[in-house]
Amino acid sequence: MGKLRLQNLTRGGKIRIGLLALALILPFLPFISDYVLHIAILVLLYMILALGLNIVPGFNGLLDLGYVGFYGIGAYTSGLLTYHLGLSFWVIIPLAFINGAIWGILLGAPTLRLTGDYFAIVTFGFSELVVLFLTNEIWLTRGPLGLPGIDVVSIDLTLFGGPKWEFIGELPYYYLAIVMVLVTVFVMYRIQDSRLGRAWFAIRDDEVAAVSCGIKLLAYKVIAFAISAAFGAVGGSFFARWMTFLSPDMFKFWESFLILCMIVLGGMGNIWGVMIGALVLVSMSEVLREILPLLGLPVQSRFLAFGLIMVLMMRYRPAGIMPIAAVAAKMRAGRVKRKKVKPAVGIKK
Amino acid sequence: MFLQQLVNGLTIGGIYAMIAVGYTMIYGVIQLINFAHGEIYMLGAFFAITFISFLGLPFYVAFLVAMACCAVCGVLLDIVAYRPLRQSPRLAALITAIGMSIFLQNLAMIIWGSRPKPFPHGALPAYFEKTAVTFGGVNLSWFHLFIFTITIIMMVGLNLIIKKTKWGKAMRAVAQNKTMAALTGINVNRVISYTFALAGALGGAAGIMVGAFYNAIFPTMGYVAGVKAFAAAVLGGIGSVPGAMLGGVILGVAEALGAGYLSSLYRDGISYAVMIIVIILIPAGLFGKVLKETKKSM
Amino acid sequence: MKKRQSFLFVGLLVCVALVFGMTSGAMAGKIRIGVAAPFTGNLASYGDNIKAGVNLKLKEINDAGGINGQKVQLVWGDDLCQPKDAGIVGAKFAADKSIVAVIGHLCSSATLAAMPIYVRAGLPALSPTSTNPTIGDVGKGWFFRNCYTDDFQGKYLASYVVPKLLGKKKVAIFYENNDYAIGLKDSFVAGAKSAGLTVTGAEAYMTGTTDFTPQLTKLLRDKPETIFLCGYHPEGALIAGQSRKLGFNGPLFGADGIDNEDYIKIGGKAADNTYCTVPFLAASAGPAGKDFAKQYKKAYGRDVDWMSANAYDCLGILAQVIGKVGTDRKKIRDGLAAMNWPQFGYKGVTGLTYFNEKGDCSKPAFVKKVENGKFVAAK
Repeated sequence: MGKLRLQNLTRGGKIRIGLLALALILPFLPFISDYVLHIAILVLLYMILALGLNIVPGFNGLLDLGYVGFYGIGAYTSGLLTYHLGLSFWVIIPLAFINGAIWGILLGAPTLRLTGDYFAIVTFGFSELVVLFLTNEIWLTRGPLGLPGIDVVSIDLTLFGGPKWEFIGELPYYYLAIVMVLVTVFVMYRIQDSRLGRAWFAIRDDEVAAVSCGIKLLAYKVIAFAISAAFGAVGGSFFARWMTFLSPDMFKFWESFLILCMIVLGGMGNIWGVMIGALVLVSMSEVLREILPLLGLPVQSRFLAFGLIMVLMMRYRPAGIMPIAAVAAKMRAGRVKRKKVKPAVGIKK
Repeated sequence: MFLQQLVNGLTIGGIYAMIAVGYTMIYGVIQLINFAHGEIYMLGAFFAITFISFLGLPFYVAFLVAMACCAVCGVLLDIVAYRPLRQSPRLAALITAIGMSIFLQNLAMIIWGSRPKPFPHGALPAYFEKTAVTFGGVNLSWFHLFIFTITIIMMVGLNLIIKKTKWGKAMRAVAQNKTMAALTGINVNRVISYTFALAGALGGAAGIMVGAFYNAIFPTMGYVAGVKAFAAAVLGGIGSVPGAMLGGVILGVAEALGAGYLSSLYRDGISYAVMIIVIILIPAGLFGKVLKETKKSM
Repeated sequence: MKKRQSFLFVGLLVCVALVFGMTSGAMAGKIRIGVAAPFTGNLASYGDNIKAGVNLKLKEINDAGGINGQKVQLVWGDDLCQPKDAGIVGAKFAADKSIVAVIGHLCSSATLAAMPIYVRAGLPALSPTSTNPTIGDVGKGWFFRNCYTDDFQGKYLASYVVPKLLGKKKVAIFYENNDYAIGLKDSFVAGAKSAGLTVTGAEAYMTGTTDFTPQLTKLLRDKPETIFLCGYHPEGALIAGQSRKLGFNGPLFGADGIDNEDYIKIGGKAADNTYCTVPFLAASAGPAGKDFAKQYKKAYGRDVDWMSANAYDCLGILAQVIGKVGTDRKKIRDGLAAMNWPQFGYKGVTGLTYFNEKGDCSKPAFVKKVENGKFVAAK
């Protein structure tokens, strides 16, 4: 790595630093109300989730339909630990990470040897079971009654004789979310450039070739799944401490689909693409929520649009708005353009 | 009570079987889980009540016409969404399928509203309500018999089509090996469309019967029924039509008995659990072919 | 390629910023009140009822010149009855300083999700329909409701409706697995003990189930005299139909969740002989209530329901308080909290409303019955 000077940065790098700076000063710009911050935090949360999900379809080429299950597990872990034991958020994050990873391994180990379709369905079944469990086991989760009154995040230095700052309002959560996103992006980049990441890409691009290079398929896939689940759980734990209220119907399949939409739209496998996808989808969602009633269309059209977007994206730009060359090539490889050949003279059908 | 639960289970099971058969046929020919199949089932019910309410068609006519419409919908689904992606990786096709499912659900919500709709009053033949047979403390109404009869007729009919007709042979050929089938002169695309039409018609019929029997039709009814039927197809062995039928019945009975004797809250969970366990332990299901990942050397 | 992408991106950001900027702006001179309910989605029909009731009152207020000369404007927030969306709607309302109070939310889980935001921002919320008892604790003084809570309804059903009105002793409960029904069931079971009723069985079901025959078969085996439809009307109607098919001919009863025209539409003949408690019944209401029912029928062509009536009164209560204390959020909250004795209460179409320290109010319940395909007052 060369010296990190401003002139050494690529154009892309400069844009990203600029965006980061913009994000940091956002709350102080005019017209930015708590509502905008709320949406911004939602965007950042979905960025973390999308980056987590990205590992499985984006880096590994498998379809995970049950991501919301890990999100829910993480959220309820965080919520319940806070509610009953009053644990600090900073302790909960690593716990949630580990919990998510454990569940990822538990679910992944028996299922990752299946073909893609079966794996997708099994993950879907898993997330539905998670929701059912969260809803029905009232003794543990309070089920549909919801879990209100979760403490907010706080930085507690009382042990060292310092003050205790509680996170009140959207602003502290906004910066916390930015920090979490930065950490996640950093981790993703390190993984991408590591041996682990390269093994994953090999698996994605051609499994047979990967195996013949000595890559243990199942082990790497399980690791991928576990890390993806871990990030989902971390996102969930943030969500619990931010909304301070949990209810099982926040974790339906629709969330999995939404996050999938984000990575499909943005560019599967592309870290920045995925983040753009999250930004676009969440903002568009809110913009549409405002505009649609004014245009006289039902708000339902928003969901319709998402379904349509998925279909169109897969048809025309399956690798997303910001495609990665490898993924784009793979998606294109199968599609041979059929030319209409005029039959030679004399040959009739 | 056991007998009553059994009857309940067989009724639900027959419905699952009809939907499951659709999943399995489509998977057989294009190796794709058609997530939007549940929506065709839902559309069948909506078409039926629309025809009855707006065109004043009598029940049986509306039934057939709605089935035909569903067949057309199935074919359109294939042509519009799946055919362009025939050569694309599985991931793209799966995502498209989910996208279409969401699209159709919400389209139905916009067209017909999301409130449950009852079957129009007086549309069903009056004698449906009356009891036909009583045995062991269980009342079977004519409607029950109607459902059983139609289910059996369709299953038998489907088997005949697959085993005896030219189209059926072509379907089996395409399911076995597309390239070879094309080499023998079969128009693969047309066969696939035909499969979608059949699957659509059956799914639609199931939807109409469920809508009429339970008297509630709503846009999200295809979602849960679709997943359960898929579990049934997996149980029976995906790709095998008799397997799907058997799987449907087994799942229906298991669900009824489970809900009746164990916990009714995890009723849907039974299907998911069955699906997961079957896929992990016996991926071939009861009758199907093995479709596992290529590698064993992990 | 890169250039076009950057253009798109910047264009997107601008659009986003514009929309947010626009919608957060205030309209000078009008009193803005937020209304949060599901206006689309499965429960859109409930949202329609709220809209209908509130709009009727709005017209009344504005035709009379508004509050202290200022006209009232309503801001709609569609929360789809989902906690996450409720949080977004809540954030929007809280951040918009021109909104002085909120009527909402409809669903208890949505209210629970939005209340922390309202508490933080200091925005009073008055709900016409959220009945979960725990909201009062989360509300920390900023939450008020003019409907009764679930514990009340359950006890009322157990102590009065079943033994006295229906004259039955053995009850089978079929409850929906959501916060509304579970609270209702728990309070019913508690009340049933002291009223000497026997609960022969209790089965739960998930929202959206269409086939209840396995559970019904199990419940009916214990020969209950009546079935408690503890949930909302879509499933309630189906349960009614299927229980009749299985040969159950006794009366059915439920709470306010059953009170909806769709129950009769979907249940058909099976819906007959169903009783339900409601917070508002035009036939039993005072002259103001009867008048309101007439107006409602004229304006919307359908019979009035309790949600519309409560929503109508919500706006009325807010109008009265704003008229007294002005448009400061904190003052409005204090004004609502000051309505803690009957003589400080609000006389509306649903009766007299006044709040206790948790923001709850005690309102009477009425009983309706389905007879020959119509809702009538039960004797």
